[in-house]
Amino acid sequence: MASTKMADDSAKLQILKDALYEEIRQHGSETRLFSQKDLLDLNIVPNNDVVLLVRVVQGLTDDKLLVGTTNHHAGLAWRWRSREEAKKYTSLPNDETVMVYSIIDEAGADGIWNRTIKNKLNMHEAVVKNCIKFLETKGYIASMKNVEHPNKKMYIKATLRPSERATGGPWFTDGELDTAFISELEGIVFEYVKSRSAYRGSQPQPAASSSRATTKLPRKGAVTADSTVARGTKRSAADISTDDTQAPARGGSAKSRHIFLPMPAGYRHYPTVAEMAKFIHDTGITNNTTLGEADIQQLVDVLTYDGLIEPVRVGRRRGYRVTRAMKQDTVPFRKRQQEREAGVGLDQPLLPGPEPLSNGLTEAPCGRCPVFELCEEGGPVSPSNCVYFLQWLDLEDLPKAVAPNVALPP
Amino acid sequence: MTPRQLRHGLAVLQQHNLLLYHVDPGAEFAFYEANAEHAYNLVRTGKILEMIDTSFGAAAKDVMQSLLLSGQTRISDLVAAYQDKIEQANKAAGLVGDDDDFGTETNGLNGDSHAAKKTGPQVKSTAHLNSIICRLVEAEMIDVVHLKTFESSHDILRTVEKEVMDKYFPAGIKGNKAKIDLQERIAEGLRKVRDESKSLKRKLEQNGSAAKRRKIMAGMGMTNGNHEENLDPALDPKQVIRINYDRCLVDLRNRRLVQFATDIFGDTTAYVYGVLLKLLTKDLPRCRPDSAMDIGEDKDDNEEKGRRSVTTDQILDSLKTSVDLSLGIGKAEQRQISSAAAEKVELYPPGKKVLIAEAEVDGEASADEDEDDTDSSEESDYDSDYKAPTTTNGVNGVNGTHGTKVKFDESAAPRERQLDRPSQLRQHLLLLSESRQHFARHCGPNEWTVDFVPLMHALRETELDSVIERTSGRQGLRLVRILRAKGKLDEKALPNVALMRKPELQQKMLEMQTAGFVHVQEVPRDLKADVKKSFFLWFCDVDRSLDRLLDTSYKTMVHCVQVLEALRQKERDVLETTKRTDVRGREKDTMRKEYYERYSRFLECERKIFAQVMRLDDLVSVLRDF
Repeated sequence: MASTKMADDSAKLQILKDALYEEIRQHGSETRLFSQKDLLDLNIVPNNDVVLLVRVVQGLTDDKLLVGTTNHHAGLAWRWRSREEAKKYTSLPNDETVMVYSIIDEAGADGIWNRTIKNKLNMHEAVVKNCIKFLETKGYIASMKNVEHPNKKMYIKATLRPSERATGGPWFTDGELDTAFISELEGIVFEYVKSRSAYRGSQPQPAASSSRATTKLPRKGAVTADSTVARGTKRSAADISTDDTQAPARGGSAKSRHIFLPMPAGYRHYPTVAEMAKFIHDTGITNNTTLGEADIQQLVDVLTYDGLIEPVRVGRRRGYRVTRAMKQDTVPFRKRQQEREAGVGLDQPLLPGPEPLSNGLTEAPCGRCPVFELCEEGGPVSPSNCVYFLQWLDLEDLPKAVAPNVALPP
Repeated sequence: MTPRQLRHGLAVLQQHNLLLYHVDPGAEFAFYEANAEHAYNLVRTGKILEMIDTSFGAAAKDVMQSLLLSGQTRISDLVAAYQDKIEQANKAAGLVGDDDDFGTETNGLNGDSHAAKKTGPQVKSTAHLNSIICRLVEAEMIDVVHLKTFESSHDILRTVEKEVMDKYFPAGIKGNKAKIDLQERIAEGLRKVRDESKSLKRKLEQNGSAAKRRKIMAGMGMTNGNHEENLDPALDPKQVIRINYDRCLVDLRNRRLVQFATDIFGDTTAYVYGVLLKLLTKDLPRCRPDSAMDIGEDKDDNEEKGRRSVTTDQILDSLKTSVDLSLGIGKAEQRQISSAAAEKVELYPPGKKVLIAEAEVDGEASADEDEDDTDSSEESDYDSDYKAPTTTNGVNGVNGTHGTKVKFDESAAPRERQLDRPSQLRQHLLLLSESRQHFARHCGPNEWTVDFVPLMHALRETELDSVIERTSGRQGLRLVRILRAKGKLDEKALPNVALMRKPELQQKMLEMQTAGFVHVQEVPRDLKADVKKSFFLWFCDVDRSLDRLLDTSYKTMVHCVQVLEALRQKERDVLETTKRTDVRGREKDTMRKEYYERYSRFLECERKIFAQVMRLDDLVSVLRDF
């Protein structure tokens, strides 16, 4: 009699358990916490019978279908776990393994360091190792790498993908910063900004011969200032104000070349980060990585820090435009890359953007000298025996006598 | 050395303003001091001459050159020298001043071609000379030497201080108010000393034709005919004149800024900018206001300072007609342009907090302009075909709001395809104003000004950046600019921002630390200061880097000169031959072929090195003087 009642009771409990579990699943995701009141309000347990509820919940917890947690606000609360997961738990051989697995489970997508597992459980290292080995062979957990701590051995549930924090976001591939991917994308973004923030026009090229003829011959008194040797391609203000042939002339007699021109002030269509993100998305360059606006912003920031583009605010629109538009290469970056693959222009470094500015210091050998600090008259390295200067002055063949006592690497 | 030699030496040095002296009243001894500042100016000789050549013509350059060679000169002496030369030139002799300050060796080569090309002197008559000097004096390129010129600034300050104390504060200073008063009086006294050198200019300005002559001067160079010369008053032959380097620097700075603008925008815009700068700095005596002297100046000549802006019309009048303003800027439809954003009037210079010294002066000045804006707002949009017709600039005049935004009606009539010239000019000016480097500021409707302090700061930073980029690569530049933007950053946070691999980044940072571009600060986590646990914060101190850059530039300059000296030593035998009187001037014919080749190669190196020194001086001027 008693046994039948017991059996009857347990069958009833089983029904209640199933009903409660299904109802809970209907009411929220796996992360939702259900307090005692929530469970009672589901109206599964009759008469708000708390004792019965406790028995039902206990039964579910034993089946690993409910996980009990304590929460600051709600006190004791539960969340549900899927039947497949629960089955994994129940299939584990011993308590230690269960504990290890539950800790890894709780760590979620961030993964957990094996040292942390050991410390949390206060178990012997060998035991933890055994458990992990068992779980790994079962295919329940997998080892992973965290970019922030590349040397730590971390574990994660096999069904989960490591979180962004662990992988380092879209810029990392297998825990390594994917510089090739980044520079490729930088080039594309830069090209996009360049073509949309500057006006592609043509300008009559001043005839080189006529401008040379009009510049006065260097006069003796002004030998330092007038010497055209170091001026290079840069033109001083004098040229602009003196000869008109060199200043942009009307209806140029010479052939025109393509150049980028700055947009007039107040231009409203400087590309924004959102537009760039959309462009990248639409082209589908990044086939298996999705790049959000924040990621593109990071890329754009880097380009800004590189001095290639600059933010410009027109009204409320925050766009970006290319710096030094006139000096930009009108040949698209992609084409340059193709040329490079074909073997053209290999002698020049392939970087987006124009040649960096230079000044007197960077042009002189001293500006790039590795032993600048040591260099003084009377020292082992001195201006009078400087090989770099001789190179620079094209005097290499002359100073055979000087060369031996130079203590510099070639 | 005999006393006679010594005296002679001192006199020569003094004539070239290389020596300062001070005699205490009643003292028996004079104290001498080297004038290092002026000695440095000698490096700029060539540059100044070129500048004078382009803006005042070849004849003026010639006069300047003579003045440079002889140091401070009495006008009568100069006139006499030129009289001689003119007479000689009539006999087709030589040309003026074949020497320059360094490198007397260069004479031979250049002298030949030069003398052959130009027959006859640059300066045609003493009247012509007089007019040149007048123009240069008016432009403040030349000023008058007076007693205090030879004293060091400290001595002058002390003398003035003493005078002021004796005169106004015999009982000593009490309280803050008196202190401020004292400072103002000292500044005033110093200014008086400084202005003494402008006496000649003042005298010229009293003459009625001054303004007229200046107009012609703006037309540049030799355009004014001989008939003008006679209008100039004869100068007092006893006056001693010298070159005013402070003022020359202002013009050199303009040139550097135009070059900077060329780098960023292109030729046409830079040309417009050059005209703007020229108009703005016409009466600017020096690049940087002296902190001791200009303290109360805004009170004295507030009127003048407040009006330091140029209108579009003024620029238009000074533009060369041959320049096509439609070049250099991209084309865009009217609807693509937000004229509200472009035409934004900014009443105050940017980043006022940074400029402590300047802020007061400028702030007050722009307050004046403020009122003017509201007054003139009605007639301000004279070129409303460019702007939307509904434009009301009156809204801009709201006092005190930084960057007032005005909503324009965008349904304006479509802009014409070909803009008229004033509008084209405006486009260039607006482009300059929009730039991040703050090239210009639209300080009132159709009024433009340049805030030199932030602009020069931007230029200095650009120079620093280019050095960093050239030495540490683009990634180095990236890191420095990140630090500049974000302040101090933990070592661990950097790779994420810079998108660089950690080991590469660390190596780059160390490299740049040794070069002095970035600095590191160690912050221990606890009392034990465990290195492993400490934070390492990278930061970048721009001023420190700039100081270091300046030092490096000086040192590099010295190295250049030393290299040249070494070369001279090596080619001693050749150079000595060229000094012989029978060889001089006819090197090519008289010297053996091998020798001549060595000689010309040496000259080439020398030119190269001097050009380099000049480029370095460009950098030094930007870092130190502008």
